[in-house]
Amino acid sequence: MDFSILTNNIDMFLEGLKNTIIASLIALICSLVLGILIAIFRIAPFKPINWLGTAYVEFIRNIPLLVIAFFIFLVFRIPGLAAGTMALTIYTAAFIAEAIRAGIQSVPKGQMEAARSSGLTYPQAMWNIILPQAIKIVIPPLGNQFINLVKNSSIIAVIAGGELMYQGDLISARTFVVFDTYIFVAMFYLVLTIPLSLGVGQLEKRLAKNN
Amino acid sequence: MINFEKVNKYFGDFHVLKDINLTINKGEVVVVIGPSGSGKSTLLRCINRLETISNGMLTVNNLSVADKKTDINKLRTEIGMVFQHFHLYPHKTVLENITLAPMKVLGQSEEEAKQIARKYLDKVGISEKADSYPAQLSGGQQQRVAIARGLAMNPEIMLFDEPTSALDPEMIGEVLDVMKALALEGMTMVVVTHEMGFAKEVADRIVFMDQGQILEEAIPAEFYENPKEERAQLFLSRILNH
Repeated sequence: MDFSILTNNIDMFLEGLKNTIIASLIALICSLVLGILIAIFRIAPFKPINWLGTAYVEFIRNIPLLVIAFFIFLVFRIPGLAAGTMALTIYTAAFIAEAIRAGIQSVPKGQMEAARSSGLTYPQAMWNIILPQAIKIVIPPLGNQFINLVKNSSIIAVIAGGELMYQGDLISARTFVVFDTYIFVAMFYLVLTIPLSLGVGQLEKRLAKNN
Repeated sequence: MINFEKVNKYFGDFHVLKDINLTINKGEVVVVIGPSGSGKSTLLRCINRLETISNGMLTVNNLSVADKKTDINKLRTEIGMVFQHFHLYPHKTVLENITLAPMKVLGQSEEEAKQIARKYLDKVGISEKADSYPAQLSGGQQQRVAIARGLAMNPEIMLFDEPTSALDPEMIGEVLDVMKALALEGMTMVVVTHEMGFAKEVADRIVFMDQGQILEEAIPAEFYENPKEERAQLFLSRILNH
């Protein structure tokens, strides 16, 4: 393997890594917030709001991320990295919403009934009884989504986002060393995703313990 | 105190409650019995609006339960409920299970709520389990915690939905004892159960239901000695002679 590809282009690789981290981190936080909101929409005891949540999920998760990224890039005419981060957020939120909804609905119905029959309001029961139990169930699928998100950020390369994949494309085009370049790109992704994966596993264990 | 007037309830096309007329007075212990699927649990769950009635009039303390203007959360603080499967909160300790609603709904301070919770834990005989989690308790203990959780709100009415049906035979007694003590103190109770011994001993009135209707209402002695309805006779002969 040609390590000079790595050493000679380390600035570009690091620039790519930085941009991937920025895009992933922002998209992760925003998609979590948006995802929770849509999940609440989907289960709220009010039909029109349910419908809105369902429409979002079915519409967004059935369009390729690549298409969403192009669409945002072309319509809003913002830089590739920003457009890509936005696309990632919108796309991932649909999957996160589904994971959270499934988690909430897997908490036995009797929990809500017990809480409500003691006089707690719906939001109080949700917050104090349902969500703490749902979180434990939701952590593993949520971890999956976060890992997918980091990997999916490579899509931003097609709209010149300047992240890892994009830098890899540039380096391979310039040096004609295609195979080795993408090996290094893969390694940089692993540097991000493996700790994330382990972190989620740890969190899962810790939450399981206090039960 | 609780009054059903021509109450009907449908689940889709299924007519679960048919023209229910029933009055339950303060301090009364009413035991609802009948074959499964007869609508007993639904009847009970209508009282605190876990199920909504389709038509008719249902009042608790002269407040219409179905009326949108009725503050259902406030009404529910006056009605404790004990479920067949306990439904304790698994992520909270026994003490936290009991103090949650008094703190969140009645606005008690943590200290006050804990003190009251310990009093009721003592009453149901498991004060030593205050800091345990529900999963560490036996079924009978969990159900007693559930009763304490209901009592901590200082309700006027307690509803019991087959409180011993999910318990090992050995643990039924300890739960029934707590319920008997409660009945003796004058709590208004509506109990759906198959425990005929309890019904005979504690009930002021037996309500026999079948296929969504109240077929017979009588004091226990009368009901067990001399059930009028044929369906009730059949039910009793099956349940008592096995």
